[in-house]
Amino acid sequence: MARRPTLLIVDDEAQILSALKRSLRREGYEIVAVESAAAALRVLDERPVDAILTDHKMPGLSGVQLLARAAERRPDAVRMLITGWTKEIPRERLEEVGICALVTKPWDDAKLKATLRAALAPASPPAGGSDTRDPSSDYSLRR
Amino acid sequence: MKRAGAEVRIIVARSLDSPLPDPTFALRRLGPGAHIEILHGAAACRARCREHSVDLIVAEAGPGAECWELLDAIAPDGPPVIVVHRDRSERAALAAFERGAADCVVAGEEFPDVLPVVALEQIQRWRAARDQDVAERRIRDLESYNQNIIQNLNSALLVVDLDGRIVFSNPPAEEILGESAEALRGRPIWPWFPETPRGEVHVARTLATGERFKGVESTLTRADGTPVPIGISSAPVFDSAGTELGAVAVFSDLTEIKLLQRKVLQAEKMASIGQLAAGVAHEINNPMGFIHANLFQMSEYLTDLRRVWDEVGALLEAVGGGDPAEVRRCSAELAEASKQVDVDFVLSDFAKAIRESQEGSERIRHIVNDLRNFSHRDSEHPVLADVNRFLESTAGIVWPMMKHLVVLEKEYGNLPKVGCYPMQLQQVFMNLLVNAYQAIEARIGGSGETGTIWLRTEPRAGGVAIIVKDTGIGIAPENLDRIFDPFFTTKKVGMGTGLGLSTCFNIVERHGGSLVAESEPGVQTTFTVWLPGGNAAERAG
Repeated sequence: MARRPTLLIVDDEAQILSALKRSLRREGYEIVAVESAAAALRVLDERPVDAILTDHKMPGLSGVQLLARAAERRPDAVRMLITGWTKEIPRERLEEVGICALVTKPWDDAKLKATLRAALAPASPPAGGSDTRDPSSDYSLRR
Repeated sequence: MKRAGAEVRIIVARSLDSPLPDPTFALRRLGPGAHIEILHGAAACRARCREHSVDLIVAEAGPGAECWELLDAIAPDGPPVIVVHRDRSERAALAAFERGAADCVVAGEEFPDVLPVVALEQIQRWRAARDQDVAERRIRDLESYNQNIIQNLNSALLVVDLDGRIVFSNPPAEEILGESAEALRGRPIWPWFPETPRGEVHVARTLATGERFKGVESTLTRADGTPVPIGISSAPVFDSAGTELGAVAVFSDLTEIKLLQRKVLQAEKMASIGQLAAGVAHEINNPMGFIHANLFQMSEYLTDLRRVWDEVGALLEAVGGGDPAEVRRCSAELAEASKQVDVDFVLSDFAKAIRESQEGSERIRHIVNDLRNFSHRDSEHPVLADVNRFLESTAGIVWPMMKHLVVLEKEYGNLPKVGCYPMQLQQVFMNLLVNAYQAIEARIGGSGETGTIWLRTEPRAGGVAIIVKDTGIGIAPENLDRIFDPFFTTKKVGMGTGLGLSTCFNIVERHGGSLVAESEPGVQTTFTVWLPGGNAAERAG
């Protein structure tokens, strides 16, 4: 059996982290929760990570800055942002950093789970080429 | 002989075939300034008088009627006419005088000596009369000019005598005081200031000490009790000998301006609130985010626990039924359900989720409270209050928008109470804090560093000092003098109204205090608000 996917979640608010852990408890991920970008970078250096879900406005490095550095260290890790400031980040910047999902706070549990499932699904070839998912069912960014 | 000093213009009216000696030669003795011109006929003389300022006409009394026609045409309002005639008889001279001649000269032997003397005398007399006319006309013009200005002045103008009795008023003054000019004349002005001790009315101070005021604010009360806020300037009035006659006061009704001021203040506050809204929305968003997720999860936990509870019910029923096999089966089911649900974890995490959600909702309640306090309209009168409390509440509102970039160091001193308009003060504090944050953001935003804002209060000079210091980008020396000017801004279009600091300055001034900025660009910037203790805002207001 394949190992459980590792999800790194980053937010300067402990309560957000514990609520996220609660939401994703039954999703079968190995969740690593840290409260700063600096701690997240340490985790990235120490162990494999399949996906990163980070807050944007944090003391020190912002979420986008963290993801930009994560892209250098772990280019394969899926990069996702969870923030209340979705409108403030230029779309080009999101593309530049290769961010594949933008989760708005407060988040919808079902949509969050769907987003992560889609992001962490085994890299199956895009069968038929067309994306049949309902665009409103998750937070994924589509071009 | 005496000569005509300035340029003079003389017309010699002469018929072509005159038998008399030409007066031109005699008139040349008046000097090079005398322009002499020979003309023929009354019409030509008249025309020349209209074109130029002619000082004298010398006309020959010939055999025809030419000379009389000339007198008729010129004499009533024109320059003086000297009639030269051959006849020594008084009759001829009288006839000329009757027609308006200024003088008569006989063309005799002494003619070349007499004519210049007579001419000079006439010219001087004519000029003196003309100068006086001009002076009188200028005085009349000036009077009506002044009158026009005073009557049409947008501002009210009052002149009072040494006892403060109204000597003169213009229409705006009549409108503001609510009485006609006739009703005002001679009345003392004191009844319009019933609340103010006589010695403190600005005009009274001008009368007593000669003190001049420029645009100070005051309030007058009309006979019907309506208070009118006014801006007044006053100065003593002297006659040309320097004797004090009274005082002149220029004032205008500030009712609309006050209203506008209040609107600008409110608008500025609203703009600041707009700026805040994003930060506050974020701050509410975070607790909302986890409360929302927690509620969802707690309902899942409840479903899980119900499933276990159902098994407990089944087990109780089996125990009541007394069938040991059934009891064992139900017991095993309960154990299985408990394991699947992970009851221990669910129970403890349920409690944790509730606790965290409670903290979150408490945070939201706090934010909403602060914000509601902030959007309140201010009280009409200053209240004695603790400035630290307002500072703390304002810092609480703006903190969420800056906490990712800023370390806030607070040091509140033990302060005397200050008479103030709380909302206005909070607006000042908020502007200073937001500016400090924006200055830090401009310097280190996106670099991953953090800046520091120090917030300090201390008793100072009988009042309180509030010091806001930041490690932001700073203010260039050439801008430091202009930052309190209305509409001066270095922020990007749409980022600032340019009114923030000028509003702060006005508010602090209204409190009788001072606002000073110092900056060492790139190092630190300090804004110091000083407010007088006690109820100074009332006195300054």
